[in-house]
Amino acid sequence: MPPRNRQPERRSTRSARPVTITAVVDPVAALASENLDGSLYLYDTNRPAGSTGFGTPELHSRVRKGDTLLWNVIPLECETYVSLADVEIDPQIAEPEQKVYPGTDIVFWTAEVKQDLTEPVPYRLSFLLGTVTTPFTPTGRPALAGSAGDGKEA
Amino acid sequence: MAQQHGIIVLFDVENALRTRSLEGNTYWFDNMKLFGSEGVGTERLETIVPGTHYLDGSQATEQVLNWLPAALGSIPPTVPRNYLAEQGRADDRRTLDELAGLDAAGGVNETDVRRLQGRVGKRARKQASGRGLTDSKLLDVTGRTTTSSDAYNYPAPVITDITGPAVTEKIMYPAQYGSPDMIYDGWYWAATVDTSRPGVYRYTMHVQLHELVERNDELVWESVDLTCESSLKIINDPKRNGFTGAGLGVLPMPPVPVTG
Repeated sequence: MPPRNRQPERRSTRSARPVTITAVVDPVAALASENLDGSLYLYDTNRPAGSTGFGTPELHSRVRKGDTLLWNVIPLECETYVSLADVEIDPQIAEPEQKVYPGTDIVFWTAEVKQDLTEPVPYRLSFLLGTVTTPFTPTGRPALAGSAGDGKEA
Repeated sequence: MAQQHGIIVLFDVENALRTRSLEGNTYWFDNMKLFGSEGVGTERLETIVPGTHYLDGSQATEQVLNWLPAALGSIPPTVPRNYLAEQGRADDRRTLDELAGLDAAGGVNETDVRRLQGRVGKRARKQASGRGLTDSKLLDVTGRTTTSSDAYNYPAPVITDITGPAVTEKIMYPAQYGSPDMIYDGWYWAATVDTSRPGVYRYTMHVQLHELVERNDELVWESVDLTCESSLKIINDPKRNGFTGAGLGVLPMPPVPVTG
């Protein structure tokens, strides 16, 4: 196989792609323990910008004013229903809106960051699991944080 | 028969393509955390494989593993596998209908035509060496047709091989299954594990990612082959039922259905 190390030209401008925040959920463990602690792993696509807390419920995503955010879910068990029921955050920072992938009933949430952040802004994610009607919310809170250089967190 | 292990690998495709490495760009999961798998959700997963014997002392059967790759920042794997193809086609049908409608309504407005032109979208070719791809319309990460080659949805990574000590030492026997029809089926990798030799065994996963590049005024999916590592830990504990902690017999069902 020929070498494939050629680096394509990279754009220095902001990516047109949203910052995706993905919640990996172990629905069987969460349903068995009746809580999401230990069964929720958060990731985002902004690690190069300095996001931290990968693989925990306390993901701090580095964002800038004007970024589009997209939250979605990957269940670890494809036969158990998992859906992101709510994203609650200070409406002065962002106003998340629920959408579905066209032609499906699979939910994602999206929002635009309204202002640059000087300190982390925690928010709340709620999930519907299995046939339980009360949403599950992890004890740990994820947060949006200002871009590297602005934010003062460790 | 014991439950099969599912090993899910989440790839930060964008960062992996930029750095041309999977180092720091994979997150591994399995369904055996309850039994002692370590590093679930990180780059260093050690998948536990209990089971040289059953609780009654008899020889256990082999363990089956399945690997499922997924791309971070893409349309999630919960949408049907044929979604990209179906969505592209449905969009074409709608565009054709609306185009016919423009004429019937009398008077063709240029804005409408331009809007429909946008909906036609762009298509990308695949290279001969590209695996697990089909020539199809570009969709963005929210499932809409896009004409921008900046915001396209990354195709799911494709596993091309599994090698390493766990394979050469004949601890596991991986193989590729499925059909080369990438729209409706696709391939997957599974393995059976010899559970009679406890120990920690590393393995290497060979993965192909796909990057959209513009060449000779054409969009082409260029394949990028990379590798990452994980390990299996085979232990002497008996195989047991995750619900009861006992043997692998029937589940303790109540004799009559519970009523409200």
